[in-house]
Amino acid sequence: MEANPILSISELRKQYGQTEVLCGVNLSVKRGELVCVIGPSGSGKSTMLRCCNLLEMPTSGTILANGHDVMDPKTDINRMRQDVGMVFQQFNLYPHLTAVENVSLALCKVQKRKPAEARQLAMASLERVGLGHKAEAMPSQLSGGQQQRVGIARAIALQPQIILFDEPTSALDPELVDDVLAVMRELRESGMTMLVVTHEMAFAHAVADHVVFMDGGVVIEHGTAKQIFENPQQTRTKSFVSRYSSRLAH
Amino acid sequence: MDGNSGFFYTFFNLEIAAQYAPALGAGALITLGTGAAVVVTGTLLGLLLAILRALDVRPLTMAIVAFADILRSLPPLVILIVLYFGLPEIGLPLSAFLVTWISLSLALAAYAEESIWAGISSLPAGQMEAARSTGLAWWSAMRWVILPQAVRRAVPTLTNRIISITKNTALGSVVSLNELLNAAQGASSMSGNPTPLMMAAMSYVIIFLPLVVFSRWLEKNWVRG
Repeated sequence: MEANPILSISELRKQYGQTEVLCGVNLSVKRGELVCVIGPSGSGKSTMLRCCNLLEMPTSGTILANGHDVMDPKTDINRMRQDVGMVFQQFNLYPHLTAVENVSLALCKVQKRKPAEARQLAMASLERVGLGHKAEAMPSQLSGGQQQRVGIARAIALQPQIILFDEPTSALDPELVDDVLAVMRELRESGMTMLVVTHEMAFAHAVADHVVFMDGGVVIEHGTAKQIFENPQQTRTKSFVSRYSSRLAH
Repeated sequence: MDGNSGFFYTFFNLEIAAQYAPALGAGALITLGTGAAVVVTGTLLGLLLAILRALDVRPLTMAIVAFADILRSLPPLVILIVLYFGLPEIGLPLSAFLVTWISLSLALAAYAEESIWAGISSLPAGQMEAARSTGLAWWSAMRWVILPQAVRRAVPTLTNRIISITKNTALGSVVSLNELLNAAQGASSMSGNPTPLMMAAMSYVIIFLPLVVFSRWLEKNWVRG
């Protein structure tokens, strides 16, 4: 049971017209694991992630997410998406709703909880990301880091089985990155399964169970964080992580 | 007598005003009723068309765009006359009220659709994606995330259109709808005095000025939200 991957992707392909963005990606994430996906821009990392909850429709391949065959037309996508949370690079908070309303919307409208109960659960999620005191703030009144933490609260409130992070800190000012990463570390310690597309090499190195290096629409190499960062086998992986590793050496 | 040709006798004749006040009052009620009906159906139809356009189904979108473009290029008066004098020829005579109501609703719907659609398409794609990623169905995402923002963005152009189209209820006089202007013209020619026309002009201001002020308030207090 524990050994079964909660997310497994095989031979995933995605084409836009003539351009093939994903050329047969294989990847799996076990329960409780934090897997980081690294790689240069345009390597297909984000597209791969967005295929997992069908924000992008794959051209072919198979994705199993918590038992849902994602690409099966008979699968209830809205049900599946409650098991597969998502955190976006640009946060994508609803600007017309307060922080707590952002978090409770799906609790009310999808899970059909009573307003008082939804609010209570939303507050608990905001407390978890350290923003209970900002519940009534509008997104425009929050810093980027705070907005992203509300984004994380919105995802965890639905109690998903896995959360997909699409470059969660790339749009943040450097000094705001740490708060968000701290929340992610804490989630990881509480046993949340996470698949994180990121450019935060130090975070991936320190926190990830597994690291996947993608380039040109395929997985070039995968292994433990230690293997990928300290002893990469493939030339492309070596050259990609070398800039980060050389900084570490100093 | 000097007064007989004086300015006040001509334009603000109290005797004539009192005599025709009931007729103009009835006309004002028709203007108000027709205007309200046009605002409601025109805006709702425009909203519905904008939502259907957001479904992004090619033939549907093309039909909606064609509808909006054609109705925006037709003068409302032409729609009115075509419907009023054309429909009886195919055995579908409609009352002056129905023709005015339908014509102006269609004209308003075309503009409302464009305004609301502009609001919808100006939102970042991430809004719909975020809503859908939490399991909201398309319609729920539309209802709770997209439309509240899109309508707010549409308000400034929408209120302007609502005011300018609704004022066109005066065109109903052409198809003998007994609205304010028509009542005033009748009273004016019967009495041989333009006072009823002045009364009509003032009535229009009384009816539409609050709408203008309200739209200004709405733009100021709600759009920024």
